[in-house]
Amino acid sequence: MSMEAVLRGLVVFCASYLCLVYASYLTLMLVGFAESRRSRREHRIEDLGALGSSRFSPSVSVVLAAYNEAVALPHAVRSLLGLDYAEFEVIVVNDGSTDDTLEKLRRTLDLVPVEESSRGLIETESIVSYYRSRSDPRLLVIDKVNGGKADALNAGLNHSRCRYVCGVDADMVFASDALSRAMRVITQDPKTIVGLTSYVEVVEDPSRALVDGVEYDIPDSSPLIAYQALDYQRAFYNNRIAWSRLEFMLCAIGAFQVWRRDLLEELHGWSRDYTCEDIELTFRVHEVLRDQKRPYRVVCLPDRVGVTEGPDTVRKLVAQRERWQRVILETWWAYRHMCFNRRYGAVGLLGMPFYLLSEIVAPVFELLAVTTLFVGAVTGLVDWWHFAFVTLAITLVNSVFNTGALLMTDLQGRVYHKRGIARLFALMPLELVVYRPIMAWARLKGTWRFLRGDRAWHKFERNARAEAV
Amino acid sequence: MEGRTILAVCCAVAGGAWLLLAIGVLVGRLRPSHRVQADSDASWTPSDDPARASVPRLEGEDPTRSLLEQGARSADRQVRISAITTLGRLGHRHDWAVDALIEALATGGEPVRVTAQLDRLAPRTGVRLIPLLGHPSDLVRFCATRLIVRYPALAQAHLPVLTHDRSPNVRAAALETLRASGSGAALRCSLRLLDDPSARVRAGACRAATAIGGTRAAPFLAPRLGDASWWVREAAREALVALGPDVAAFVLPLLEADDPTLRQGAALVLQDVGALDDLLAADHGHEQAERILGAGNPRLREAAADRARRGVRLGVRPAISSEPAP
Repeated sequence: MSMEAVLRGLVVFCASYLCLVYASYLTLMLVGFAESRRSRREHRIEDLGALGSSRFSPSVSVVLAAYNEAVALPHAVRSLLGLDYAEFEVIVVNDGSTDDTLEKLRRTLDLVPVEESSRGLIETESIVSYYRSRSDPRLLVIDKVNGGKADALNAGLNHSRCRYVCGVDADMVFASDALSRAMRVITQDPKTIVGLTSYVEVVEDPSRALVDGVEYDIPDSSPLIAYQALDYQRAFYNNRIAWSRLEFMLCAIGAFQVWRRDLLEELHGWSRDYTCEDIELTFRVHEVLRDQKRPYRVVCLPDRVGVTEGPDTVRKLVAQRERWQRVILETWWAYRHMCFNRRYGAVGLLGMPFYLLSEIVAPVFELLAVTTLFVGAVTGLVDWWHFAFVTLAITLVNSVFNTGALLMTDLQGRVYHKRGIARLFALMPLELVVYRPIMAWARLKGTWRFLRGDRAWHKFERNARAEAV
Repeated sequence: MEGRTILAVCCAVAGGAWLLLAIGVLVGRLRPSHRVQADSDASWTPSDDPARASVPRLEGEDPTRSLLEQGARSADRQVRISAITTLGRLGHRHDWAVDALIEALATGGEPVRVTAQLDRLAPRTGVRLIPLLGHPSDLVRFCATRLIVRYPALAQAHLPVLTHDRSPNVRAAALETLRASGSGAALRCSLRLLDDPSARVRAGACRAATAIGGTRAAPFLAPRLGDASWWVREAAREALVALGPDVAAFVLPLLEADDPTLRQGAALVLQDVGALDDLLAADHGHEQAERILGAGNPRLREAAADRARRGVRLGVRPAISSEPAP
């Protein structure tokens, strides 16, 4: 077979793959449009203030797992204690931090050492000490021996007293109505909705959002953060909201995941066997509840519940995304029996194959496409007009998806100034050559590490922030 | 068709779609900011949103009343929620809106939303809740029992009987409401329900007993520190701690109990009321303090030593609703 025939075959393969992925994305974006429109309509008729302040709204235990988060944690805890919701408690679990996380918390939140009693439902690493805040008695801090994020969340679950448990990340700063927005949807159908997640915005310094209220904008941040903002918008508005509507929500993100406590207890909490706990728990919920034929829903909301920190350097971004890729691979592989299995309904027939297509084989495809182009260029077999057209078409299609997500974000709540919108539009066409190669590299690295059996978290340094007072 | 033509068509289609969506973003921006804000607002506070301003204009008209009553019973969730929200707004001035909400509660649709509105409408709700106390649905009785907390006289007259209700959630809610109303009957009920088979009811009974009976209830409550259920133990602990340092006399004897859970519970109460810190600070209290520390686990000792080193004292933690609602 001639080189030209091989290259032609590879081009056809890559083009077919690309068409299939884009067709899936387009379908999901259209479903996302319909779903976020429905959500906006519901907001107009809903009395969130009454629901949030009502003693009839279900109580929520917010559990935050922290490891070496001295910079970010005080901001996150402050925003949690400022939530506008009738009944909630905040449980911060210091997972054996080696920095001054605990000391900073003690200083800023007036913590007093106490002894507490645990339900001991789930076995965790041993508790070193408990702290209660004298300034806000809703706060309980658990200091424990390091056991990973899942272990820390389980320690929080052992002490939670409320009907729902909300797991959050330490680098988040929350909007004051975050819980009201989440619980609004859960109270519509509390018997069926067992889990929920919601959109989070990515910014360079979430602590600024706390200082300035909920106003934040991206024009002042680096292009890297702006590209991440577009990435998050696409992931939530174009994908997850549609997954939720089509009943295969496969990832309740660790940054904001609300679960019914009784279900968490039944499933023995978060699993320690994976690099990261959030996707795995969502998969397990689907597996168990579908096996038992119980009616349930895991939903994703378009509501912006808070801001999270985006890595501000390429190195940190690659570290984060390679871990995400590894986690997806680990989880998908562990639950591969669900793929194309009718027993698991939309999860098995749509969700798992979509993950396979868009996440699992994507790095292989990307590598193949780049290699094909390189070989074609070297051997002179590439028609440069074709190459230019393909690049332009991919750029335009990516921009369509980005703009669709941006449109939904902007309709949901206007947080970007016009200047910020213009900047995002200007950055979109360059995404293919600036941001996508970084993502491709991170995914390849993640795949390679997964194949080598790497399970480490590879925590990176947080961005510089203002000191919490 | 030639490959280059196909690609050109693809580019044209994608470019067109991008342009359309970009125009969509720009057109979306033409929408007044207050409308966007109103859509994502957290409350129905007075607003200059014309859509909201139109609600009061319709009030009092019979067709509107009928429409809202039907809406509150609608099978369509959005219609139902919309009707409930509007009825809640009108309920401050119109009894028929309150009646419609009561009716909506009785039919069981959107209980959290209906009760949130009815709770805000006190004192207009009052006697209208009484028929719901005998409703066949556990959920409706539970909601009515909790709503009646704003009417102490009604609670004292109608709730003692509900402490015998078949549903543990209703029994617990009745106790909680009686506790808030300060009824004398509540003490008797709560002492009786300390032995209820449901942990939720026993936990509620612990809180009610001390809230009404004060230190008189402490001797009945202290043994609950060794209850089989963690929820009841925690409720008993919170209830005893709420009584303050006076409770120490009832709890100290438990430090020598055979049951380690009971000993630990007693030690925690003495920690929480500050008795342990006081004893450690006093010159003559070390022996007693050692009794408490010996009853608890090693962390109790470490935490006490840490507090003493830092010269800090404990505050009392508030109770958090700790059992699932129906």
